[in-house]
Amino acid sequence: MYLPAGIYHETYAASHAWWQTNFVRAKMALLVALVATLPLYASLYVVSVANITLYTILSALGVQLLIGYCGQITLGHAAFIAVGAYATAMGVLFWGLPYPVAMAVGCLLAGLWSALFGLPSARIKGFYMIMTTMAAQFITVDFIITKYVSRVGGREHYFSLPPGTITIGGWPVDSEVKVYYLASALTLLSLAGMANLLRTRVGRAWIAIRDNDIAAEALGVNVVYYKLLAFFAAGVLGGVAGAVWIPSLFFVSPEHFQLSWSVWLVGVVLIGGLGSLHGVVFGAIFVTVIPELLKFAVIPLSGVYPALTERFLYVKEAAFGLAIILFLLYEPRGLAYRWQQVKNYFNLWPFAY
Amino acid sequence: MAILVELVLSGIMVGSIYALVALGWTLIYKCSGVLNLAMGELTLVGAYLSLTYYHWGFPFPVALIAMLITGFILGLVTERLVLRRMIGEPILAVIMITAGLSFFFRALVGFVWGTDTVVFTPPVFPREPVRFFGMVFAEIYLWSFVAAIAMLVIFVWFFQRSRWGLSMQATADDEMAALSLGVSAKWVYALAWAIAFMAAGVGGTLLGNINGLNISVGYLGLLVLPAVVLGGLNSVPGAIVGGLAIGILQNLSDAYVGKLTGGGVKEIAPFVFMVIILLFRPYGLWGWVRIERV
Repeated sequence: MYLPAGIYHETYAASHAWWQTNFVRAKMALLVALVATLPLYASLYVVSVANITLYTILSALGVQLLIGYCGQITLGHAAFIAVGAYATAMGVLFWGLPYPVAMAVGCLLAGLWSALFGLPSARIKGFYMIMTTMAAQFITVDFIITKYVSRVGGREHYFSLPPGTITIGGWPVDSEVKVYYLASALTLLSLAGMANLLRTRVGRAWIAIRDNDIAAEALGVNVVYYKLLAFFAAGVLGGVAGAVWIPSLFFVSPEHFQLSWSVWLVGVVLIGGLGSLHGVVFGAIFVTVIPELLKFAVIPLSGVYPALTERFLYVKEAAFGLAIILFLLYEPRGLAYRWQQVKNYFNLWPFAY
Repeated sequence: MAILVELVLSGIMVGSIYALVALGWTLIYKCSGVLNLAMGELTLVGAYLSLTYYHWGFPFPVALIAMLITGFILGLVTERLVLRRMIGEPILAVIMITAGLSFFFRALVGFVWGTDTVVFTPPVFPREPVRFFGMVFAEIYLWSFVAAIAMLVIFVWFFQRSRWGLSMQATADDEMAALSLGVSAKWVYALAWAIAFMAAGVGGTLLGNINGLNISVGYLGLLVLPAVVLGGLNSVPGAIVGGLAIGILQNLSDAYVGKLTGGGVKEIAPFVFMVIILLFRPYGLWGWVRIERV
C-alpha cells in the first residue's frame, strides 16, 4: 500500500484503518459531499442517470462477490434481483408490510433462493456451474415469475406500484430525487459492508477458494460452506438491488430481469476489473454513462440515418458487446487497474518508478 | 399411443436441427477449447442472411449456398479478429468474449433487420401437411430432418475422410503432437469457427422456415447448451444424441407437463433436465472425465 514518507502507525488499529492520511480523508469527505448534494445542482436527467448507475452498482456487487472474490462464474444473477424485487413489491402490496421490512424479507428470500441454486457448486464447477446458474435464470424468471408470481391477485403481466405506495416511516419515496438518496445510501452501505467483509475470515476464505479451491480445502477451508455463503451473500445484495429498483419504476415486470441483464452485469464487472470494488463502481459508471453520451452523439446523425435513433437500443447493445470484447483484448484487468496506474503515476511524479 | 409416437417423431425432427447446431458448438470446443455462448446469435445471423438472399430473388438452394459462403467468411473473420488472441486466456475471459460477440451480433441483427417476425415469402415448403402411417406432419419438418441428416453425414465424412477433417481431429486430440506433425493449429481454429457458422446458419434457416424468423430464434440456439452438456462437451456423437434427446424432451414435456402448468414448460424443460443430469453425471454421457490436481 502506498503511503507518503513520514506516516508512522503506533497502534494496530491505526495501521488497519481504511483512510490513513488526511489527504485520503478529505478526498472521501469530498466524495460523500458530492454524492449528497448532487440533486441540488444537477438536472433531473442527471439524477435519473445516477439512479441507473447506482442500481447497476448494487446489482453488480453480488456478481463481483461471486466471480471476482469466490471464483464462481454466474450468469443468473438477474434472477435473484428479480426475487428481491418481487418479494419486496408483494410484501408492500399484499401483506401491508412497511417498505424496510419488506426489503429485509426480500433480501433474505433472494439470498436463500441464490443459495439453493448454489448447491450444485458442491459438485461441479467451471462451465457446468455457468450452465446451472443459467438454468436458475430461466427457471426463476421465465417460468416461476412469469407464469405464477406475476398472476398473483389476478394481475396479468406486472405489478404496478403507484407513487405513494412505498413509504419509509411515513415518508413516501415517490420522486427521482428521493429514490436517489435511498439508492446512494444503500450503495454506500453495501460497498462499505462488502469491503469490510472481505477483510474478515469469510472474505479470506472466499479469496482462497477463488485462487485454488483444492488447495483451500487442503488448508482446512470448508469449501462447500463458504461457496454457499458466497451465493447467499450475493443473493442478499441482489435483493437489495431489486428492492431499490422498484420505487423508481412504479412497476415490476419480468422483462427487466432477463438473461441479457445477467450477462450485462458480468460485463460490468469485467469492464470495471475483476476482484476490485472500485471496479464495480467504474464499470457501472462506464456502461451507464457511455450509452448516454452515445445518445447525444447519434442525435446529429439522425437526419442522415434515422435508424440510428429509432433503434438506439441496438446501438447501445452493440456498443456494450464491443466494449466487452475490446476490454478483454486490450485491458483485461479493467478500469480499476488503469485507475491504479494513473494514481501511481501521480504518486511517483516526477520519477518514472 | 399414436400421439406419443407422433410427438417423439416430430421431436426427433426438430431435434435433428438442434443436433446440427450442437455439432458446430462441439467442434469449436473440441478443437480450440472455447465455450461458445454466441451459438444462438450465429444461428440468427445465418438465418437472416439466407432470408435476405432468398428475398433478393435467388432460388432457395442458391440462397442457402450463398449463406454458407458468407457464413464461412464471417467465421474466419470472427476467429481471426477476436478469438485467436484469446488462446490460453482464463475460461471466464474466453466465455465472456463470446458473450460480448453474442451481444454484438444480436444487436447487429436487430439493427439491420428489426424486431418484427419475418417469414420466407413465398414459402419455401408447401403448407399442406404430409400424412404417413396415419400421422400428420408439416412438410417443413420432414425437409428439416432430411437436410439435418444430410449435413450430419457430410460432417462425419469430412471429419473421418478428408485431410482437413483429420487434422482437426488431430488437433483436438493432442495439439502439441498435431503441431509437430505440421498441422496448422491456426487454420484448424479458423475452420472450426467457419464450420460452426455454417452449421448454425443451416439450423437457423430451417428453424426460420418452421415458425417465421425473429430475434427469439436466437433463444433456440441457446438450447444447444443443454444438448451438448447432455452429450458431454467434447463428444460428436454425444452432441447428436443430445440434440435429438432435447427435441423429444421438449415435445413430451410440452404435451404432458404443459397441461398442468398452463404452458411455458417447453422453454425451460431442457434446462431443468440439464441440471438434473449435471447432478448425477457431471461429464454428460460421453464426456471426458477430468482429474484435477493442485
